[in-house]
Amino acid sequence: MKSILSRTFGGITTVIGVSVITFVFLRALPGNPARLMVGSLASPHTVALERQAMGLDHPLYVQYWDFVEGIVRGNWGFSYSAGEPVRSLFASRLPASIELGLAAFIFAVGGSLVLALAVTYRPRRLLDRVVRGLAFLGTGTPAFWFGLVGLLVFSVWLNVLPGPEGRLAPSVIPPPDVTGLYVIDTAIAGQFRTMWDALVHLVLPAVTLGLFPLAYLTRLLRVNLLDVSRRNFLTVARSKGLGRWAAFYRHALPNASLPMLTACGLIFGELIGGSVVVEKVFDWPGIGNLVANAVLQQDYSVVEIYVVLSALAYVVINVVVDMLYGVLDPRVRIPTQSSL
Amino acid sequence: MNATSFGGRTTDLATHTEPLLSVHELQTQFVLQGRTIQAVRSVSFQLARGEKLGIVGESGCGKTALALSIVRLLEPPGRVVAGDVRLRGRSLMRLPEEELCKVRGKEISLIFQDPTDALDPVRPIGNQIAEALRAHNHQLGRRAIRARTFELLSDVEIVADRARDYPHQFSGGMQQRVMIAIALANNPDVIIADEPTTALDVTTQAQILDLLNRLATERGSAIIVITHNLGVIAEFCDTLRVMYAGRFVEAGAVSTVLASQVHPYTVALGESQPTSTRSVKGPLTTISGLPPSLETSVTGCSFAPRCAVGRDRSLCHDLAPPVVEPSVPRRYQTYVECHFANYSEHGPEDSSSAGADPPKSEVTSDDRG
Repeated sequence: MKSILSRTFGGITTVIGVSVITFVFLRALPGNPARLMVGSLASPHTVALERQAMGLDHPLYVQYWDFVEGIVRGNWGFSYSAGEPVRSLFASRLPASIELGLAAFIFAVGGSLVLALAVTYRPRRLLDRVVRGLAFLGTGTPAFWFGLVGLLVFSVWLNVLPGPEGRLAPSVIPPPDVTGLYVIDTAIAGQFRTMWDALVHLVLPAVTLGLFPLAYLTRLLRVNLLDVSRRNFLTVARSKGLGRWAAFYRHALPNASLPMLTACGLIFGELIGGSVVVEKVFDWPGIGNLVANAVLQQDYSVVEIYVVLSALAYVVINVVVDMLYGVLDPRVRIPTQSSL
Repeated sequence: MNATSFGGRTTDLATHTEPLLSVHELQTQFVLQGRTIQAVRSVSFQLARGEKLGIVGESGCGKTALALSIVRLLEPPGRVVAGDVRLRGRSLMRLPEEELCKVRGKEISLIFQDPTDALDPVRPIGNQIAEALRAHNHQLGRRAIRARTFELLSDVEIVADRARDYPHQFSGGMQQRVMIAIALANNPDVIIADEPTTALDVTTQAQILDLLNRLATERGSAIIVITHNLGVIAEFCDTLRVMYAGRFVEAGAVSTVLASQVHPYTVALGESQPTSTRSVKGPLTTISGLPPSLETSVTGCSFAPRCAVGRDRSLCHDLAPPVVEPSVPRRYQTYVECHFANYSEHGPEDSSSAGADPPKSEVTSDDRG
């Protein structure tokens, strides 16, 4: 409990540090957001007035304080590039990224489990080589290339998956908003045709986004499983009369999966944070797309909120991973009053 | 009496009672990067019900490979290439895997050398004992399994409350007790203990051995203790087999072998054991050299290069040693593989302790069951 508190405290420090650095660096960039806002034809006087209106004439620490106050109060600022409050922008874009990220995460974790098990459960030299080769390629293949080739093959040539048209076909009406995740919302509303459409639209983007983590996790889990399968307790388990598979999934798999938790946590954070490249390729209305545009247009408020939210997510995920270790791995379990 | 094969001799002893476990000409190989290593080279032995057999030999002479070969748990690159293992006359080598699973842990249990690596670190020990019970007693309910687990824990002198604790919360000796509880869970007929005390300190060693001995005797289980410690064997085994380079070079009742020490290797092994009576000042005697790599097939006697007797004799280097048996049959199969070994026929105490005449042996072996 104490360690979780101290980690949470450390996490808050991290978030504050990240927000200060982003804030200062963004304002140190050349260019004038007020000029961008009012357009290139506006007079210097108009620009100055706009600067005042945006609060850019205040000292930096005052601006930072306003910024922090705004976040806490739920006023996340106004995106002049989108002409919309940042908060509503995020509210409409974030679920798309989270849905895509979750799908990619499930694909990566599930896929790596299947692949790593297939090559380690019994020594299969040829399959092992193929999987290792694919994993190597997977960690090296750029997502934009894989996404484009995927579109070419499955959408253009084979015509089995939709093209880059976002989360749903243009003619399909989105489900009523509950969680923001279309697959879940359609299930809640009982709109299974829409659900199917959302699913097929997810396939290619999720696979593209999940390819690198899949390859990475497969390599990691494969090595862990090979390591664990040399341990004596597996032989002991089999000497009790357990079959090969029973010994493997009851003893080898849990022990090999534990060290994966950290990597999975980081990957999860990375995936739900949105990917600029994949969202661009598939025209996915997610957060990555939004932030990329905001950076190009010096739309401070969007970038700042994004960075602070990312830092927050990172910290939360790490604390959760630590807590999970406490639950799953008896060796790091912190002694509680009852067990002392 | 001098027989080149002892297969014939053992059968006439086996006519009245079938041996519990019989290993016949077992050969195990490891193929590593194209090199073949003969870990077990045609080993045969029989184990009677309740018998306590000690197998002694130095590191790397194939003891563990033999143990794993018997229950067919040897993982590639290791492989049993020839021979047979029979449990109550049933060949384990021909059994399908599902049938073997019913033998392992139920009829033959294993105890391993390093208890710290023998238990799954992420599962409570009670859970791991229960797993052994559940594997062979599908009809037993949750509550019955729990009760049996607690019973087993108290048998190995661990408080039942600790069933929910994890392996890292126990000392090495305690972990080995848990291992013993697992091995004894289904009252097996045979327990193979592969260096059960090597990783433990000396005081714990004695406790663990006493415990294992007592519990196995209560249940009438036969034990095979594999060790490099002659003291362990002298303490609680009936019979002893000396293993060298994947072969048994000497066999017999513990009292016979330790008293007469016919094979030069047994002699050397005995001299390199620390004892309380010997002067502690001088260094321990060691056997110079290393066991052969077993990569190539051995010609002559495998011990010849290190042997005080045969080192300089071409006979030992060129010709495989014969199997020499005492002219008077002993209660337990007794032989030595050496060109220059001979049993003194008026051997010391041996004939009285082990029983020299066959009729008596029949009576005693019946008693043992």
